[in-house]
Amino acid sequence: MDEDDFLERDRGLSQDQRAELGLGALVFVVMALLVALFVFVLHEAWPSFAHNGLGWFGGGGSVDQELQAIARSGDFKQAPVYTFHAWPLIWSTIVITVGAVAIAFVSSLFIAVFMVEFAPAWLRRILEPVVRLLASIPSVIYGLAAVLVLVPFIGNHLITQGEKASVTPTIQLSGSSLLAAIVVLTVMIAPIMIAVFADGLRAVPRGWLEGSLALGINRWRTFWKVGVRTARPVFVAGTVLATARALGEAIMLSMVSGGVGFAPNPVDGLMFFFEPSRPLAATIIAFDEELSSPPMKHTLYAIAAVLLFSSAMLSVIGWAAKQPMRRYGVVP
Amino acid sequence: MTDRLGLGLAWLLGLLFCAIAAAIVIYFLVEGIRYLRPDLLVTNPAPGVGESQTGGFLDPLLGTVIVGLLAMAIATPVGIGIAVWLSEFGRPTGFARLAESSVEMLAGEPSVVLALFGAVLFTVREVGFLSQTSHRIVLGQSFFAAAAMLSLVGLPMVVASTREGLQAIPSHVREASYAIGKTKIATTRRVLLPAARPSMITGTMLGLGRVIGDTAIVLLLLGGTLTFQPANSVPVLGLLRGTGDTLTGYIYYNAPTGDGNQPSKAYAAAFVLMLMVLVLNVGVDAVIRRSQRAVKWS
Amino acid sequence: MRLRSRVRGLAAVSVVVGAVALPATAGAQTLFGSGSSAEQPILQVLFRAYNRLHPSIKFNYLADGGNAGVQDVQAGRRLFAVNTRPPLPSDAGTTYFKLFLDGLCVAVNPSNSISGLTITQAKDIFTGVATNWSQIAGSNLTTTIDPVGRNSSAGSYTFFQQAVLGGQTQSSNVHPVTSDGLVATSVSKDQSGIGYVGLAHTGKGSGVKTVTLNGVACNQANIKNETYPLFRYIWGVLPTSSTSRTVEKFFDWVRTNKAAGQIISRAGAVPAFNKK
Repeated sequence: MDEDDFLERDRGLSQDQRAELGLGALVFVVMALLVALFVFVLHEAWPSFAHNGLGWFGGGGSVDQELQAIARSGDFKQAPVYTFHAWPLIWSTIVITVGAVAIAFVSSLFIAVFMVEFAPAWLRRILEPVVRLLASIPSVIYGLAAVLVLVPFIGNHLITQGEKASVTPTIQLSGSSLLAAIVVLTVMIAPIMIAVFADGLRAVPRGWLEGSLALGINRWRTFWKVGVRTARPVFVAGTVLATARALGEAIMLSMVSGGVGFAPNPVDGLMFFFEPSRPLAATIIAFDEELSSPPMKHTLYAIAAVLLFSSAMLSVIGWAAKQPMRRYGVVP
Repeated sequence: MTDRLGLGLAWLLGLLFCAIAAAIVIYFLVEGIRYLRPDLLVTNPAPGVGESQTGGFLDPLLGTVIVGLLAMAIATPVGIGIAVWLSEFGRPTGFARLAESSVEMLAGEPSVVLALFGAVLFTVREVGFLSQTSHRIVLGQSFFAAAAMLSLVGLPMVVASTREGLQAIPSHVREASYAIGKTKIATTRRVLLPAARPSMITGTMLGLGRVIGDTAIVLLLLGGTLTFQPANSVPVLGLLRGTGDTLTGYIYYNAPTGDGNQPSKAYAAAFVLMLMVLVLNVGVDAVIRRSQRAVKWS
Repeated sequence: MRLRSRVRGLAAVSVVVGAVALPATAGAQTLFGSGSSAEQPILQVLFRAYNRLHPSIKFNYLADGGNAGVQDVQAGRRLFAVNTRPPLPSDAGTTYFKLFLDGLCVAVNPSNSISGLTITQAKDIFTGVATNWSQIAGSNLTTTIDPVGRNSSAGSYTFFQQAVLGGQTQSSNVHPVTSDGLVATSVSKDQSGIGYVGLAHTGKGSGVKTVTLNGVACNQANIKNETYPLFRYIWGVLPTSSTSRTVEKFFDWVRTNKAAGQIISRAGAVPAFNKK
C-alpha cells in the first residue's frame, strides 16, 4: 500500500495512465505487425513486378512454362528469369470466386430469411448450431471430401470421352475442375454469409416489421421489403467477408481445381465447367517447396501481394458498408 | 403468388442446406468410424510403403494441441488487452478507429499470406533461435514460428468477442465503480473482465477453432516432418524449436492429392479433427447459454 | 519487496532465454538437405539407420525435387542434395557422387493390354503427338490417353526429358503431380492412364503394371546390368567448396556399407557399389 503511493508520487503517472500507455503500446505493436506484413510482402514481391510491369497481370504464353523457367533459373550462375504473366491464374480466381459468391449469396439470403423468420422453432434450434459448425470445419476436410467423392463423380459420370478427346493434347479433363471448385467453395462460404445475414436480419427493429404487418401486408412481403431492405448494409458486409474468404482459400482449391495454369474458355460451352485451372492462392501452395529459390520466391510473394491488397480492400469496403447500420442505431 | 414462390424457395433452400450439412457430417462420421482404430491414436507415423507400415498419427495429434495452445496463449492476453483498450480507453479517436480496422483487416487476410510473412520473418538470422540454425542456414520452421503466425489468426476472434462482452456491460456499473474511487484499470480488472468472462472464453474457443483448422501456415512454417523432430534435447523448448506436423498437415499429406496418399488414414484423422471442432462448438454454445442465464444487471 | 520479485523474474527469464539460445547438446548437429522426392522414402530409412549408428547426427530433408535441391546447395541454403539425373553445366559449383542405381519405369493401368513400348512411342505420347490409345499398337483401349508426369522441379522429370523426350518439354496435357506416389495412384485409378515412376513405386501393391521399353523389362536385374534404357544413378550433391566432411562420410556409408545396401534393395532400388 505504502509502496504504491510512494511510486505514484515519484513517477507522476497514475495507474490509469500507465495502463493506457501499456495497452496502447500493445495495440500499436499489433498495428505495426500489420504494417510490417505489408512492407515485407511488398519488398519481396517488388522484383517480380518491376521486371514485368503491368504485363504481370496480362496473358501471353503458358504460365506453367513461365513458372518452370523461373524455377530453373534459380541456378547459380544464370541470370534470374522473372517473366510472368499471371492472367490464367487471375482468370481462374475470378471465375471461381465470382461463381461461388453469386450462388452462395442467393442461397444464403433465402436461407437466412428462412432461419430468422419462417422456420419453425425446432428447425431453427437445429439450423443455428449447424451453420456455426459448418463455418468452422477446416478447409482441408472440405477438400478431402471433395477429392474422394465429388471429383471422381464428375470425372466418371459427367465428363464424356468425346469431350476429353476434343481438348487433348492441350489439357486433360479429369474430375478436378471449375465445377468442383465452385461447388465446394460455395458450400464453404455459405455458412459465413448465412451467419452474418442472420445476425443483421435479427437486428432489424421489431417495431418496423410489426408496423408493416399491422398495415395488412403478409409476412413474406413484410420481411422481404422491410427487413431485407433495412439490413442491406449487412448483406454487403457479409458478401465482402465471404469474398475475402473465397479469394484466400488455397488448400481446398489446390486439391480440387485441377492444378494446371490454364485459363478456362467460356466459348467451350458446357465443357467450360469441366476444365482444370489453378487460382492464385492455390498456385502459392503448389510451388511453396521452391520458395527458397530467389526468382520463384519473388514471384510467389508477388502473387501474395495481389491477394493481400485484394483482401485489404475488401476489408475496407466491408467496414465502410457497415456504417449505415450504425446510423439506425442497429449494430449487428 | 410470387410471395408463395419466395417462401417456397426459402423452405427448399433451408432444407437443402440441412441435407448437405447432414451429408457432410454423416459422411465423415461413417468413414471415420470405419477407419479409425485406437492404435492410430497412439502410434507415430513411420516411413514405409503400404498402410500397415505407416503407423498412426499420434505426433500430428499432439502437434495440433501444442500449436493451438501456444497460439492462443499468445492471442488471448494480447486480444483481451486490445479489446480493453478499444472499449475502455480508445483515445485519440482516429487512432482507435485505425486500430479497429487493422484488426478487421487482419481477420480478413488469407492465411497463405500470413504464412509467407512468417517465412520471411523467421528466416532472419537474429530470430534463428526460434527455430534451428545449422552451418549458417536458418531453417525458419518450427512450432514457435507456426504458433506465432497462428496467433494472428486467432487474435481477431478474441478481440471481437471480448469487446462485445465488455460493451454489453451497462455504463452504470462502471460509474458505480468509479464513484467509490476505483481507477479505470482496477475497475476493468476486478469488475468488467470477470463479468465478460463468457465472451473471453467464447472468443478464445472460436479462435482456437480457427487455429486448429488452419493448414497453409502449418505447411509452410512447421516443416511437415510427420513426427516431432526436436532441435535439441532440452525438454520442452527443444520440441518447440523443432519441426513437426499437425492433423491438418497430416490430412493434406494423406489425401489422394498429397504425397502420402493413404485415404483411410486421412479419414481417421479428419474424424478426430472434426470431433475436436465439434467439441469446441458445443463448448461455445454451452458457455453462451450459461452466460445468458447468469446474473442480470439491474 | 518489489525489487526482489523483479530480480527473480529477470532470473527466470534469463534461464528460459539461455535454454532456448543454448546450442544443441555437445556435438549434436542437424544436417539440412533437400532434393528428390522420388527417393525420399529410401532416404528417410537411410537417415534413420545412420542416426541409430551415430546418435548425434540428425537429418532434416526437404523433398522439393532434384533440380531444386541442387539450386539449394549452390546457393548455400542446404548442406547437401539428392538428385536423380546426371550433372549438367548449370550445376556449376557442385560435386556429384554416385550413391545407388534406380530405374524410371513406364507404368500403365492393369486393364490396358499393352505390354511394351518403344522409346519413340513413349516420346509421342508425352509430347502430345499420340493422343489416343487406338494409335498405339498392342493396346486394347480406344480412349484418349491420359498421361501423368512429374513437375518441373523433379529430377525424374529432367531425366525423362533427356532420355525419352530428347530435350523437349512434356506436352501441356500431361498432368504434373508432385510425387512418384501420386503418379502411380493416378495411373492405377485411370484406365487410360500412363506415367513414369521410379522402380520403388511399381511393386505388387502399387496398382500399376510396367511395360517393357524397347523390349527390356524394368526390374532390378536389368537396371543392375544397365540393359534397361532408363536406368539412372541416384546422385548425392555437395558444394565443391566448403564441403561438409560429415555428409561425405554419410554418402560413403550409403555407397559402400552392407546394411545400407540391404535397405536400398529392400526399398526397390539397386545397390551399385555396396559390399554384399
